[in-house]
Amino acid sequence: MTAALPLATSDWGYVWANLGTLIAAVWPALKLTGAALVVGFVVGVPLGTLEVFGGRRSAWLARKAGVVVRGTPILVIMFITYFGLGLSPAFVAATAALGVRSAAYQGQVFRGALQSIGRGQMEAARSVGLSKLGAIRHVMIPQALRRFVPGFQNEYTIVLKDTSIAFAISYTEIFYHMYNLIPEQTTATPELFLTVAGIYLVLTLTGNRVLDYVDDAFSIPDGGASR
Amino acid sequence: MSTGRERRHARLERALLAVAGGAVWLWLAFRWVNSWFGGVVVGPTQPLVPESFVAAATGTGDALGAVANGVPVVAQAFDLLGWTVGMVGFASQYGPRLAVAAWLTVVLTVVAILIGLVIAVPLAAARVYGRVSKYVALVYIELVRGTPLVAQLFLLYYGAPFLSQFIRELPGVGQGIVPGQAVWIAIIGFIINSSAYQAEYIRGSVESVDAGQLTAARAVGLGQLEGIRYVVLPQALRYAIPSWTNELVYLIKYSSLATFITVPELFTRADAVGSSTFAYTKAYVLAGLFYLVLVVTASYAMSRVEDAVAIPGVGNANDRRG
Amino acid sequence: MSHLLEVEGLVKRYGDELVLDGIGFDMDARDVQVLVGPSGSGKSTMLRCVNRLTEFQGGEIRLDGTSVMAMDENDLRRQVGMVFQDFNLFAHLTAKQNVMLGPRRVLGKSKEAADALAMEELERVGLAAQADSYPAELSGGQQQRVGIARGLAMDPKLMLFDEPTSALDPELIGEVLSVMRELAEEGMTMLCVTHEMSFARQVATDIMFLEDGHIVEHGDPEKLFTNPDNERTEQFLRRLTEHGDGS
Repeated sequence: MTAALPLATSDWGYVWANLGTLIAAVWPALKLTGAALVVGFVVGVPLGTLEVFGGRRSAWLARKAGVVVRGTPILVIMFITYFGLGLSPAFVAATAALGVRSAAYQGQVFRGALQSIGRGQMEAARSVGLSKLGAIRHVMIPQALRRFVPGFQNEYTIVLKDTSIAFAISYTEIFYHMYNLIPEQTTATPELFLTVAGIYLVLTLTGNRVLDYVDDAFSIPDGGASR
Repeated sequence: MSTGRERRHARLERALLAVAGGAVWLWLAFRWVNSWFGGVVVGPTQPLVPESFVAAATGTGDALGAVANGVPVVAQAFDLLGWTVGMVGFASQYGPRLAVAAWLTVVLTVVAILIGLVIAVPLAAARVYGRVSKYVALVYIELVRGTPLVAQLFLLYYGAPFLSQFIRELPGVGQGIVPGQAVWIAIIGFIINSSAYQAEYIRGSVESVDAGQLTAARAVGLGQLEGIRYVVLPQALRYAIPSWTNELVYLIKYSSLATFITVPELFTRADAVGSSTFAYTKAYVLAGLFYLVLVVTASYAMSRVEDAVAIPGVGNANDRRG
Repeated sequence: MSHLLEVEGLVKRYGDELVLDGIGFDMDARDVQVLVGPSGSGKSTMLRCVNRLTEFQGGEIRLDGTSVMAMDENDLRRQVGMVFQDFNLFAHLTAKQNVMLGPRRVLGKSKEAADALAMEELERVGLAAQADSYPAELSGGQQQRVGIARGLAMDPKLMLFDEPTSALDPELIGEVLSVMRELAEEGMTMLCVTHEMSFARQVATDIMFLEDGHIVEHGDPEKLFTNPDNERTEQFLRRLTEHGDGS
């Protein structure tokens, strides 16, 4: 029974011996996370904009597409891209799946950001003669992007953790290795878990710090007044 | 400012949703009860529609798919059409099988969210009011929220043999309708996961309530606990509805991960169907449809709850999960 | 001879509610028309009908003889400027960039030309020194003056003012009113909704009293303040001046 608790030195030894593999897997995990977030951003921002400012039909379509994607488990989406549609290699299928999911969620975050900007900004932009498209492009979107960062930080954490599901399509990120190391020495599972947990926590914390920095760099000065 | 036409469309949409959702749930309930009693009306996995219908749909689907092969865009269009028609047959044939497995999905979700809530409340209280317990709660919450759910499930399944053993040896486990040991492990895993997220949602919604509310309550003569119970909580719970709906949707979707610790839920069954028919896309799309129905009906139900308890001026904090 | 602005039988409904019931008036170049009336009388709505930020159901509005409905709406707004009660400055742009946006993106001016123009307008409203400040760093009065500069930068034929000082603290109202006074003296055609009676009395060429969607009375400011025809006009104006917004 003691072997099951994270106290056995032989188990930590096992983890230590394989630590290199685990840490090397950080790069594939981050690569996948980054790719998915980019796809999600490039598709999600227009989607969110369409939902708020699109004509009745396109706004409806954008909304319904989002509902369908957000109502489907990422596991299902990924198996459809990999086994169903046959996208390959695993990185592409995983990026497509995570990207589509992220687009649906980033679309919602951006929609919220757009809607949080008062109507007055749109009115002012139109009153100066800007077309609807011009107003959206030059006035609404720049402001919405700045309100987008906290939601994006949340999304980063979620996508990073979801990359673990790519293990099921044999993409060699972090969890894939934990999955393969367990059978050799099942007693080391708690130790493996704690190590992997540590890795994910470090990635989450540093990632969020970086995004905090981005947020500060792009924020609009307000002479000290808090927003 | 929505026009009358937009409002009518929205009402129509909601009505359709309620009817369609209700119909699906009735069908699900029928299939569950039917299978629990060993197949009273039809075989547990036998479709209600006749074989001939399934065969016709499949046949038509194949035929359509073969039309215009080689012609650039037209071939694709017919392939899609054929796939869709074939999907109708496929869904009719394998739908019942997935429906029976969906019962576990519902059980996992409901048990996890309810018991998770019971654990989350004291956790949230510790986070807000505790001294030492504050840090214990924080470590627990951050550890659970910062690691992938799959990793947590594997930890419990492989890394806690005493747990598996204990459950296996409980009377009745794995016999009859009592789920096997893997299901119990999955339930525990989801409970732990959900409790951490719900604790954060509760903490957030309690903090959304203006501090002045409790002050005013005290000024009127209510004690701290009474103030929380009669003034803060009613508001906090309303603020929490969107997050709670989020959590419900999350659990419905991520219950699919239980497949990796051999739980025979909806996704496992869909995967099995895919492997045996080689119609992987159809199988996973069918699974996706099931999840979608569960998610959409659950969200709809929660929005009705929200409307029923709504108070003007209270509500609408916003948080999100997966 | 057509007037600069002609409004004829203007009708506006919000759902079933009739907000404007057949409003009609004319404005010539250099006129300063002031609209007063109780809240909910439709004054702001009327302003928004002129530059088509709101649709109207009946009647006609003509700018320089052409119906506003016959024009491209963006084209219309190049000729009609607007100043808002809540300023509505573009929060993500500096004062100068706020003023530059229209000339650059709508009029197609080069960055240098737009920059020079913006600085000129900011000078005109006395804010050249704040060109690189963001709206959140400026006081309410300063923000509103930037708003005026932004409207002027488009070189409009007509400027609409929608309660420009109602959202300002008392000590900041004066700076905005003096800019508006200067504008009027320089010959800008202005249609203003305001409660500032001293401004109306001193600067307006005509005052219109609106109530329940109708023009109750309109005419020379001195006349309306000292000897109005209509009893309602007298009651309303007296109440306004008693509440300290007057001379």
